[in-house]
Amino acid sequence: MYRKQVRRRRAVLALLVISSFLLLTITYGQTSGGLQSGVSTIFSPLQSVADRALKPARDMVGWFDKTFEARGENSRLEDELTVARRKAVAGQEALQENAQLRKLVGLDGAPALAESAYAPVVARVIGRSPTVWHSTVTIDAGTGDGVHVDDPVISGDGLVGLIASAQGGSAQVTLITDHTSAVTAKVVPAGVQGVIKPEVGDPQDLVLDFIDSSKDVHRGQAVVTAGWRAQGLASLFPPGLPIGEVTDASIVEQEASQQVHLRPYADIADLDLVQVLTGGSRG
Amino acid sequence: MIVTPQIFARLAAIAVLAVLLQLSFFSRVEFLHTSADILPIVVVSLGLLGGSMAGAVAGFSIGFLVDCLLVAPLGGSSLVLLGVGYLAGLFRERFEVQSALLPPLLCMGLTLVAELGFAAVQVMLGVDAPVSTLIVRDLLLKSIFAFFLAWPIYYGLRRLLRPALVEEAKVSRRQPTVLGT
Repeated sequence: MYRKQVRRRRAVLALLVISSFLLLTITYGQTSGGLQSGVSTIFSPLQSVADRALKPARDMVGWFDKTFEARGENSRLEDELTVARRKAVAGQEALQENAQLRKLVGLDGAPALAESAYAPVVARVIGRSPTVWHSTVTIDAGTGDGVHVDDPVISGDGLVGLIASAQGGSAQVTLITDHTSAVTAKVVPAGVQGVIKPEVGDPQDLVLDFIDSSKDVHRGQAVVTAGWRAQGLASLFPPGLPIGEVTDASIVEQEASQQVHLRPYADIADLDLVQVLTGGSRG
Repeated sequence: MIVTPQIFARLAAIAVLAVLLQLSFFSRVEFLHTSADILPIVVVSLGLLGGSMAGAVAGFSIGFLVDCLLVAPLGGSSLVLLGVGYLAGLFRERFEVQSALLPPLLCMGLTLVAELGFAAVQVMLGVDAPVSTLIVRDLLLKSIFAFFLAWPIYYGLRRLLRPALVEEAKVSRRQPTVLGT
């Protein structure tokens, strides 16, 4: 009797392990299967309700955590504020100059600056992946709201990610901190271009790779999306979306390219409301 | 574990609630830059209460649901969670859980195993970006959080599943002995 039980137990275990490997093999590399879309569609209203119900509790835990960290951040923020004030003044001048130059060159309606071609859809984050290996969030807007796969997602501070899959009332966003993410970006005002990749496990650090080591990049410079367009192909991101600020730009000797580390502007760990840029023109 | 239709419904509700709580609450609050992961704790608790088969099936189901909702490659989380659920159940079948400290300690240890498992599965599938050493801090903090969260989760689940537990049934059968009538 006991032996029979043990044999049955082992058979169930083997069946489950084989099923897991089979599922991995079948679904790996696919963006979204019918089964996953169906389950997401069923659960997204429940997630939405849970999100709203749990918000006060989340805020309370967040308050404790933020208070814990606030002491150390205070002096750093004061320094940053001084630098930001200087930049804001310089930025105002640059804006005026930019408006005049755009009129002169007639770029106002150019497709490269087609931010106006995007229809922003505001969405609330209703779920987040539990491991650092998959940096994704679920939002409460889907194909019913005009959201489609590969639409860029931003927060009030900067670029957040890209729509990985969308169902009727919800969508999954691959964040810029996910290991599969890659964004073509440029350092401003230097104009140096590279590809931004995350560092898995550290959401406060992104790496701008493939930058010409002869170009001069400094700490504190801003990094924005490059939004390239060539031979009928185009970047998924419109140009000029703020991504982050350079924190380290050390040059490795004897290498043709340098790595630049940056801190994302968007608070990836604490996303609540985001905007999906729908309907943009792509290659 | 004696699984009646009522207990099965309770187990299903526990799985759904755990996944919703994880995605909508625990993954979204950070303490010391790390969020807690309650799914391995729930699976280990179910394994400790119901045995290896209950642990493995609960782990597979919860992992499958998480992967579906996150639109991640199916099977990855299932594989890891069924492993820790089975190990917890095996422990319960071989040894007595006498100390109150033992379930939280097991949850802590097996959460670490689960997080290492997630990392191993991801490495197996390929990682397209550099990996930060901070991931070690994340693993350790998640395990420590598991120790503290295991107290309410394990004892709460034990209370909720009391009618199905073999040990509890034996104790309750012994109680109504009336003498001298």
